[in-house]
Amino acid sequence: MMTSRKPGIRAVCAALGLALIAFVIGAAGPGAAQSPITLNVYINGDTNIFDLWNKTLLPAFTKRYPQYRANFVPLLHGDGSQGVLDKILAAKQAHKPTDVDLWETDPTYVTQGAPNGLWVKLTTQLIPNLSRVPTDKLRATDYYSMPYRGSSVVIAYNTAFVKTPPKTLDDLLAWIKANPGKFTYCDPNTGGSGQAFMVAVVYKFAPMAQYTGGAPYDPAKEAAWDPAWQMLKSLEPAMYNNGFHPNGNVAVLQLLAQQNVYIAPVWSDMGTDYLKRGLLPKTVKLEQITPPLFGGDSTVTAPAGSTHLEGTFTLLNWLLTSEAQQMVITAVSGYPGVDWKYMPAGVRQQFADVAKPYAPLPDSKYFADMKRLWHERVAGGG
Amino acid sequence: MSASREADSAGHRLASGGPAPRVHGDRRGWTRGVLGLALVLPPLLVLAFLVILPAISAVVTTLTPAADAVPAAPLANYAEVLGTRILRTGIVFTVIVTLVAVAAVFCLSYPLALYLRFVRTRMAALLGVLFMVPLFVPVVIASFAMITFLVGHGLVSTVLYHLGIERFPRLVYNATGIVLTEVWVSIPFAVLILGAGLQAIDDALIDSARDVGAGPLRTFLAIILPLNAAPTMITLTLLFIAIFGSFTIPYLVGGNAPQMLGVTMTSYLTQYLRRTESATLAVIAFMIASVVGVVYVASVSRRERAAP
Repeated sequence: MMTSRKPGIRAVCAALGLALIAFVIGAAGPGAAQSPITLNVYINGDTNIFDLWNKTLLPAFTKRYPQYRANFVPLLHGDGSQGVLDKILAAKQAHKPTDVDLWETDPTYVTQGAPNGLWVKLTTQLIPNLSRVPTDKLRATDYYSMPYRGSSVVIAYNTAFVKTPPKTLDDLLAWIKANPGKFTYCDPNTGGSGQAFMVAVVYKFAPMAQYTGGAPYDPAKEAAWDPAWQMLKSLEPAMYNNGFHPNGNVAVLQLLAQQNVYIAPVWSDMGTDYLKRGLLPKTVKLEQITPPLFGGDSTVTAPAGSTHLEGTFTLLNWLLTSEAQQMVITAVSGYPGVDWKYMPAGVRQQFADVAKPYAPLPDSKYFADMKRLWHERVAGGG
Repeated sequence: MSASREADSAGHRLASGGPAPRVHGDRRGWTRGVLGLALVLPPLLVLAFLVILPAISAVVTTLTPAADAVPAAPLANYAEVLGTRILRTGIVFTVIVTLVAVAAVFCLSYPLALYLRFVRTRMAALLGVLFMVPLFVPVVIASFAMITFLVGHGLVSTVLYHLGIERFPRLVYNATGIVLTEVWVSIPFAVLILGAGLQAIDDALIDSARDVGAGPLRTFLAIILPLNAAPTMITLTLLFIAIFGSFTIPYLVGGNAPQMLGVTMTSYLTQYLRRTESATLAVIAFMIASVVGVVYVASVSRRERAAP
């Protein structure tokens, strides 16, 4: 009785199993091949970068490659990046795929995830156009991310009021004190242009090599920043509106446009874009000072746990084509990710004043502490 | 008015089982109990897993001192947060801004609620619609509107300038801006709740007060104010909690420092990568809000008890 029953159950199970497999194949096979694959594209950035992806790059990509759809996930000013990293890491540890197919993020998150094998190491076999990118840019994140646009913070000055623009950071600091109320930088919690000015003053007093390029984190080293906070605090009475720092990069550009301030740090791409669109007076010029303010390449990373890697590689390769790079320059006036020699002479001419070397960003923990200490020591007045 | 009371008592009859035959009553009550539980369960689960459990874990985090903390006392995180001058200032600033905003909303809303309750003219009806407008304007838009309205070259400054007032305090990117925007956004809400309470006062009481010779002020102080005490307390507490915990308005309209707790907590979490300090601030904020919450619960239960 028992023995004759067992095969029966087995047969039923097998039949059910086969039916299930057939069902899964039926559902996922031919049907899926026809419907386009959706790539989840996570983008850190300001609203101009969202527009670049949402209105320009992704529509052009899906038009060129109709087998793909794009689901755009914005992370404003990089908020939520730690969560995205945690999510990808958790999926990896659970041996599950991640739904992040492409992530534009800061190098610090790429560096954090690299030891856990979260990212695909990019090669010219996977992405043929990678050969157009200068190798030192790829080496910066050990080939785990690909620069597709760059920008740096520069100084915007209004030639109608500033006849001899400051050429160095010291000149600039002296100018601020000599012209009270005519300079400001955004709250470093709200925009990179303000962060760059804060970081430049910190680098002036403390050697930047201690806080950049993956240096070990030691809060004790932050004592060296004290003179920087004193310097920034002493500038507060000379700031626009007695020490008011606007929220975000755009608010600073607006103050420049209304001629409320005559000099301010701005992102090269945003400043160029505002000038191009006539949102800044024609008398406003951009220039890099020495030592330079920080900047960087914005890079995109392919999570190894993505189930649509083929689509991700197609998108990455397309991003480095002249077509896409031209869009980046037209839409946000960024520096190209590929070598300047692949860009037309007109583009190279346009960027001659600002396309200079820039300072590196501090490592994320030091950077976080800098922003906190700025609030405590400079804005908070303690 | 009386119609709503009837509906209420009908509801009570329904809830108590009504005149259903006793035999089936138990079984029906059981089914109803299960159904009730099933209806209540989803929000209860959401509350348990998305609010209560994370809150408990947050409190545990704040009571666990950092590995390298020198005095490994359980309250080390609180000592650190309260020992940081800018955070202490932030807590005091938040409480003061909230109290001032609540007081301002209340002083503006009560007369408006009274006016809408007791004056029956076309004008009152029109105002009744107009005052609702802020309720339908998203807070972000309201904040930006207030900024353009109040900034250096904005409408308010221009009007003041033309009136010959050239020197006046800054109206935006500071506490003044936060209070003004919170007031603008909160008035409809306050008027609605106060108005609902005023509606519940029987006209007969006011008429009889008038018959025995009470003036408007006397009527207000002796009849309206005491009868509307519970809705008033509820309005004040809800306003306090809403403004105390607000983020968008202080983020957009506030200054660099001091900042309200909502903004500070967000900075500590997303900008300074300091989860523990952020959670500690959240627990402190919760404790302040819960003091007000006790007042709310007391007012509500007093009203429940007072209801027939």
